[in-house]
Amino acid sequence: MDGSTAAAPAKPAKATGKPIWPKVPAEFVRAMLAGHSALGLAFAALIYLVCFSGSIAVFTYEYGRWEQPAGPVLHAVTPQAADAAFREVLAKNPKAHDLFLRLPEPAYPRLSVHGDDPQGGEHTWFADASGRLAGEQKTPWSEFQAELHTVLHLPRAWGGFIVGLTGVALLSSLVSGVLSHPRVFKDAFAFRWGGSKRLQEADLHNRISVWGLPFHLVVSLTGAFLGLTVIIVGVLALATFKGDTSKAYALFRGPTVEDDPRPAAKVIDIAAAITNLKTRYPNARPTYVFIEHPGESGQHAGVNLVTEGRLSRGETVVVDGAGQVLGEVGYESGSVGLRVLSTMTPLHFGWFGGWPVKVAYLLLGLGLTAVTSSGVAIWLARRRDKGRPAPRWERVWIAFVWSQPAAYAFSALIALFSPATPVVAVWGLATLAACASAIVGTPVGISLALRRISAGLLALVAVAHASLHFAAMADPAGWIVDAALLGTAAILAASTLKALRRAEA
Amino acid sequence: MSPLWSLALTPLPLAGAVLLKRAWDGPSPNRPGFILGGWGLLVIAIAASVPLMGPARGPFAVLAVGSTAALVLVAAGVEHRNARKKAARELAPEPSDRRRVVWRGWLRGFLAGPLAGVAALGCGLAVAICAPGQIQSRMVIGGLMVPFLWAGGMAWTLSDDKILRAFAVLAGVAVATLGAAFLKGAL
Repeated sequence: MDGSTAAAPAKPAKATGKPIWPKVPAEFVRAMLAGHSALGLAFAALIYLVCFSGSIAVFTYEYGRWEQPAGPVLHAVTPQAADAAFREVLAKNPKAHDLFLRLPEPAYPRLSVHGDDPQGGEHTWFADASGRLAGEQKTPWSEFQAELHTVLHLPRAWGGFIVGLTGVALLSSLVSGVLSHPRVFKDAFAFRWGGSKRLQEADLHNRISVWGLPFHLVVSLTGAFLGLTVIIVGVLALATFKGDTSKAYALFRGPTVEDDPRPAAKVIDIAAAITNLKTRYPNARPTYVFIEHPGESGQHAGVNLVTEGRLSRGETVVVDGAGQVLGEVGYESGSVGLRVLSTMTPLHFGWFGGWPVKVAYLLLGLGLTAVTSSGVAIWLARRRDKGRPAPRWERVWIAFVWSQPAAYAFSALIALFSPATPVVAVWGLATLAACASAIVGTPVGISLALRRISAGLLALVAVAHASLHFAAMADPAGWIVDAALLGTAAILAASTLKALRRAEA
Repeated sequence: MSPLWSLALTPLPLAGAVLLKRAWDGPSPNRPGFILGGWGLLVIAIAASVPLMGPARGPFAVLAVGSTAALVLVAAGVEHRNARKKAARELAPEPSDRRRVVWRGWLRGFLAGPLAGVAALGCGLAVAICAPGQIQSRMVIGGLMVPFLWAGGMAWTLSDDKILRAFAVLAGVAVATLGAAFLKGAL
C-alpha cells in the first residue's frame, strides 16, 4: 500500500473525535514505505504474473470443459461404470505404475482415467456413462495456464520455489503496506479518480488493498506454503531422515501397503470399493480414485471422499487389493495439522464455495493484480512529480501489464486451431511482442492499443470457439465461458473509449 | 443450494459496509450506532454462515464474497476530480531517503532474502522437531510459520535503517533454531 493518500482530503476537514488508533511515528512510516517500495519494485513483474495467472486459474476446471465441450457430460456414474473405465485403460498398459480415476463432480462433470502408455507417454481418457472410453482429453490451454501459475513452466522444484518466494514477497508487502498506511481505516471509503495520476493510483492501490486484505492474506500465505513445500520438506528431511524426503511425505499418506510386484490373482475391484465406501460414508461423495500398482499383489487404491459443507480437499480412504478398508489418511479426521493441510488448496484457489466464491476470487485476484500494477505506477508517478521521470520504465511497465490479457487471449486462439502447438511458446512470443511496443509508443497509447488488441482477441476466441464447437456443445460451460469472454472484451473495449474521451478532453 | 448461501448472505456485509460508510461520511449523533451496526452486521453474516455452509467454509466464503461486495460499494462511490484543478492537500508521507551505498544494498538484499529465509526455516524446523504434539501438526504449523516469518523478516530488514542490527538478530535466530533442530534431529 502506498501512503500517498494518507492525507488527501477531497472534502472539507471533518470535525472528528480523538482517533482510536495509536499515532504511528512519521519516521517509522517513511522507513516502512521505503522497504515496501524496494520490495514491490524488486518483485513487481513476478507478483503481477503470479497474481494475474492465479486469478485466471480459479476457473481451471471450467476452461477444461470449455476446451472440450462435447463431453461426455456426466453428473453421476455407477461404480460399475467407473470400474469398467479403469479396466479399459489398464488393458492398454497392464504394467501401468498407477492410474488416476476421476469421477464426475459439479465443477467437472466428466468420468476420466489418467495413465501412461507402454512408451511412458501420459494420457487422459474420457469415458461415457457405461464406462466405455469415448476419447482422449486434449486441453492444452487449460494445462498451460494452470502450470504457468503453479510453476511458471519451470522444472517443478525451481518453479514451485520461485512462486512460493513470490508469495512470501507478496505477504511481506502486505505487512509493510499496512504498517506504512496509518490511516488504513480512516480512508477506507475515499476513492477519487482523475486529477493527479499519483493520487488516483494511490487511491486505487489503497482501497483494493484494504478491502481485499483478508483475501490477500489467505492467498499469499497458502500460496507461499504450497510453493515452498518442497524446500520445507527437504530441509526437514535433512534434519530428521538423513535427507530421505519420502519418509517425510509418508507421514501424510496414511496406511501404507508393502510393495509386492508379484501378479495378483485378480485386479482390484473398484466398483466394490466405491460401493463399500458409499455405505460407510453415506454423506460423502467419491471424487477420485488413485490406484497404485494395479494387477500386482501390492495393489491398493486411495479413494477421495468429499463431504458437503467441509472446507477440505476431502478425506482419502486407503483400500487394499482385496477391497479391505485399511484406514483414512486423516485429512478430515486426523490431527490438526492434517486438517489444516487439507484446506490449503481449496482456500488458495477458491474451490470451496461454488461459483459465487469463484467469481469473488477472480475479481479479488484481479484486484490484487491491479494493486501490483498501481504500486509501480505510483513509484513512477512519484519520480515524475519529483522531476526525475523514468519514461522508458513507464512504457515498459504499462506494456508488460497489458501484455498478459493479450498474450493469454492469443495463446487460447492458437490452441483452439492448432492444439499441437506448444502454448507456452505462443504465450511467450506474444508477451515479448506486446512488451516490444514499449520501444515505440507512449504509455497512454500502449495501454489503449494493447487493451483494444486484447478485446479483439478475446472476442475472436469466443466466436471461433462457438463456431468450432457449435454442433457439439454438450457442456453449458462452453457457452458460459464464451459469453464471459465476450463480456470481458466489451468491458475492455469500453474502457478504451472512456480513456480516449478523457484524453481528448 | 449450499454454495448459494454465500450470495444470500451478501446483503448483510454490504449493509454493514453501507453503515460504516455513513459513519465515515461525517460526524453525526448516529455515528457510534452506524459503526456498531456496521461491524455487527459483518459479524452476524459470518456467524450465520457457520450453520448454513459449515464452520470453516462459511466464514471464508462470506469474507470473500463480502469483500467483493464492499469493494463494489467503494467503487460505486467514486468521486471524479477535475484534472485541471489542483486540489488543496496536505503533504503525503514520502519513503525515507537512504544514502545509496552499493554494499548496503547487497547486504540488505541478502538479509531480506536468504538470511531471513534461513532464519524462518530454522524457526519452522525447530517447531516441527522440538515442539510438543502430533508429528503432522508440528510439521504443518512449522511449515506455515516459514512464509509468515520470512515475510516479516523481509519487511523488517528492508525498512530498518540499522542494517547490522538486523543482520545480528537474523543470524542469531538462524543459528539458534537450526542448531536446536539439528541437535535434536528426530521427530
